[in-house]
Amino acid sequence: MADPRFIRVRDVAKTYVAGATEVEAVARVAFDVAEGQFVSILGPSGCGKSTLLMMCAGLEPASDGTIEIAGRPVVGPRREFGLIFQDATLLPWKSSLENVLFPIRMMKRDPAQYRERAEALLGQVGLGDFLHKRPSELSGGMRQRVAICRALIHDPELLMMDEPFSALDAITRDEMNEALARIWETQRKTGLFVTHSIREAVFLADRVLVMSGRPSTIALDFQVRFARPRDPALVETPEFAKICAMLKRTIEAGYARSGRSAA
Amino acid sequence: MTDIGLAALAEDPAESRRRARIARARKAKLASLFKHVVLPVLTALAVLLLWEAAVDFNNIPKVILPAPSDIAERIWSIRNLLYANAISTTTEAVAGFAIATTLGIVLAASLVYSSWLRAALYPNIVFFQLIPKIALAPLFIVWLGIGAESRLTFAVFISFFPVVIATITGLTNVPGDMLRLCRGLTASNWQIFWAVRFPYALPHVFSGMKIAITFAIIGVVVGEFITANKGLGYLIMFASSMAETTTILAAIAVLCAIGLTLFGFVTLAEKLVLKAYGHKAA
Repeated sequence: MADPRFIRVRDVAKTYVAGATEVEAVARVAFDVAEGQFVSILGPSGCGKSTLLMMCAGLEPASDGTIEIAGRPVVGPRREFGLIFQDATLLPWKSSLENVLFPIRMMKRDPAQYRERAEALLGQVGLGDFLHKRPSELSGGMRQRVAICRALIHDPELLMMDEPFSALDAITRDEMNEALARIWETQRKTGLFVTHSIREAVFLADRVLVMSGRPSTIALDFQVRFARPRDPALVETPEFAKICAMLKRTIEAGYARSGRSAA
Repeated sequence: MTDIGLAALAEDPAESRRRARIARARKAKLASLFKHVVLPVLTALAVLLLWEAAVDFNNIPKVILPAPSDIAERIWSIRNLLYANAISTTTEAVAGFAIATTLGIVLAASLVYSSWLRAALYPNIVFFQLIPKIALAPLFIVWLGIGAESRLTFAVFISFFPVVIATITGLTNVPGDMLRLCRGLTASNWQIFWAVRFPYALPHVFSGMKIAITFAIIGVVVGEFITANKGLGYLIMFASSMAETTTILAAIAVLCAIGLTLFGFVTLAEKLVLKAYGHKAA
């Protein structure tokens, strides 16, 4: 039975003290995420969406409010979380396979027992022939695919992704979205995906949370009802375009409210 | 060369173009070898020849400036004396370097991990960097006497700072997301140090070590100057008191050779380690 409130974010806020002034990055955000749901957090750069994700991951304390995941308040990082960052952050001296097994070593488990899973994951993202290559021998997209496998190796319950494809070119980015969607079908985790790409947010997610400009709140909670598995051609359909346009207007309105131009 | 040309005629054009490309690349490699290896060596030889000729031509007395050939002769005639003193200098420099490197890395790691220790020590270390440490050398004789302890301690003392500073820079140079990933996996500081921080720091550690090895030699030679008990530095001082300029230059030539060799070893270790760790060579 899937928990409808696997993630419970309650009135979470984040303020930074900068000199004599307080900067409010995130203001009273509240939402729930059901187990197994893939949620995109969409917003313009600098709207505090990454901060929100880091608070969920336990890597950044919240100034106010509570976050509960799997029924327990988040007070620090947990091993049931898988993390993917903007840069692949692979160890340059390790092969793809060793990089994928890195979390296993950090958790002091036996890498030999996970080797098969690591090879299978790398195979699934099309890196079956690159197991023993070092990051410098891989393209940017390949490196980020290794990072996806690394985040999944210990079978986490929750995958948190902080703009994982924003450093990639547009063509690679589409490929990565398809690769992530494909691996998602087989691994079905709860997912939090932070992005500033509307297309990406809609294509991947069951639900899109639109964050407004600073101090950010959730401006819109939108259910994406396209059937899974999703075909790459989905992005060319009129319905897809309509949703994207609507989300774009919401973001712009959010900007207008916070008194900034939507340049 | 001609038979390659003949073979190319018989082959298809793509193959002959390939061969031409390979030949061009080989030629470029040779040209680069000439430019970066042969040319500097030829320049050095030319300077030595000029020196030799100038001394001969102007009848400069040996006590002022002996010719390179005189120095070479002297190196051969006092080879046993040079050897014994060179061994002493080399051993102490290597020992000083090894101790400085170990201490430097350990101190750098402690400073990176303890914010209190860092606050207490780091500004003072930087301040100490600025002191002309050679001025402190006589104090070591007061404290430790005129034996090897004094020279070794002084060598460690001056070669240790570059290692500390470089290692701290390296250890704090790890991408923030990499550390966030490790913290997310609830890895211990000890694990993060060995699996991530230290390997990331290696290029910096080696650049510190390359400075340290030259400083260690300087430290030992300065130590030998003032402890006046053994080593090439002592030999130089001794020869200077007898106005034996040729012996001074012979000892200096040996010191240069030792310096080059030790620096070469550190550079070689750097190349091998950085290659193994996938870093681009500095």
